[in-house]
Amino acid sequence: MEVLTVTMNPALDREIAIDNFELNKLHRIFDPSRYFMSPGGKGINVSMALANFGIESIATGVLGGYIGRIVEEELRAYSNLITTNFIHVDGETRENITIVDDLNGTITEINAPGPQVNERALEDFLRRYKMGLSRVKIVVISGTVPPGVPLDFYNPLVSMAKEKGKMVIMEARGQLLKNSVYSSCPDVVKPDMRAENRCLGRDLKVVNDYIEATREILKYGAKLSVISYEYVKDVIGTKDGIWMIETEEDVSKAHLLGTGDTYVAGMVYYLLRKGDDMLGAAEFGYAAALAKTKYLKKVFPKLEEIEKARKTLKIERLM
Amino acid sequence: MKVKDVMIRDITAVFADQKVEDVIRICAKHLFTGLPVVDDEMRVIGFISESDIISGAVPSYYSMLQSASFIPDTNQFKRNLDRIKEKPISEFMTKPRIVKENDSAIYAADLLIRNGWRAMSVVDEEGKLTGIVTRMRLLWSMLEEER
Repeated sequence: MEVLTVTMNPALDREIAIDNFELNKLHRIFDPSRYFMSPGGKGINVSMALANFGIESIATGVLGGYIGRIVEEELRAYSNLITTNFIHVDGETRENITIVDDLNGTITEINAPGPQVNERALEDFLRRYKMGLSRVKIVVISGTVPPGVPLDFYNPLVSMAKEKGKMVIMEARGQLLKNSVYSSCPDVVKPDMRAENRCLGRDLKVVNDYIEATREILKYGAKLSVISYEYVKDVIGTKDGIWMIETEEDVSKAHLLGTGDTYVAGMVYYLLRKGDDMLGAAEFGYAAALAKTKYLKKVFPKLEEIEKARKTLKIERLM
Repeated sequence: MKVKDVMIRDITAVFADQKVEDVIRICAKHLFTGLPVVDDEMRVIGFISESDIISGAVPSYYSMLQSASFIPDTNQFKRNLDRIKEKPISEFMTKPRIVKENDSAIYAADLLIRNGWRAMSVVDEEGKLTGIVTRMRLLWSMLEEER
């Protein structure tokens, strides 16, 4: 076992492909292949992508009710490289619905809040989390938290992992991310920018705002910062400088679903198998995400597709 | 067929100092019949099953009776369960039920049947928990292999 992924708010993902999707209209789906159900939540997606790269992981977090059991069963059925270690609470795990319109290049996401989690469940989780740390090299903490989980809950997760000498990679947003960066900064920080162009409480508008946010994240101890810029570019920061990565290829916005999680999985793969060069990890993560855009559904790219995508990257030094 | 081909890759477990009530709660939510007991390094140190808890909650004279029909109602069972629910698992757990991933599935089946167990822990070379194997999972895997 090499990786522990934490998904505090998993989901049953339902992806529906509808051409010319419109509000206030009945859309019937006749082709079952355009309706896809899978276990989801950012950390779980990372475990699935890692399994695709041949890397074993433990997936942990909080599940609830009937939907929670489906998520757990489906995740185990996906690959025997994934070991589950979830706590179960009352209430139902959420369902996340995504409507992809490939013709118009749009993607509409509806994400529910998840089940209420009480203090006792969190204590249970923390003890299991600590136990899981003894088995892995890298910890990935990704996504939102369900109701009842405090917005500084990621802080002890990061500090416990770092105390045990584990590398911590985090993709999160809002106060959750801000609290983590300011208390015990993860080694790799990837702000989740899907909902808004904000990071550490600030609006990011021009490229200089992104550079400032990157510097701030590095100042608090991150070894690598990855901030998405204008959908298909990324501002990358390491101790050696700040870069912009982009591709020469055209990328449809409708194909961006799941790319963030594939990006994280790509970085994990690189750090475990290729070396500890942080810029290289970001480059590989970007290429993995780019290769993922070839698939509309939750299908993760093969390593050879990632290597091919890598050849299309342009990297420009900003600082 | 080996244990690794039939095991459930789930490492839900309890610690020896957790309460009996925790086992009932976790098993009910996960639909398990028992759980491995582990230390802080995830090494398996015991097993606690629904049978162990029921044995701890039935009246002490139960084993001498021919039939449960001699017990007038469930009140005494309920009282006993209330009494033990706060007690640590260590008082009721049994010795570790262990197989390794590379053991044969038939060896696991033999242990389950011979000992009357419904589930057992799967461990790695260091004795750390990697999953569980159950009777039903074994049956299901055999059935799937035939297809």
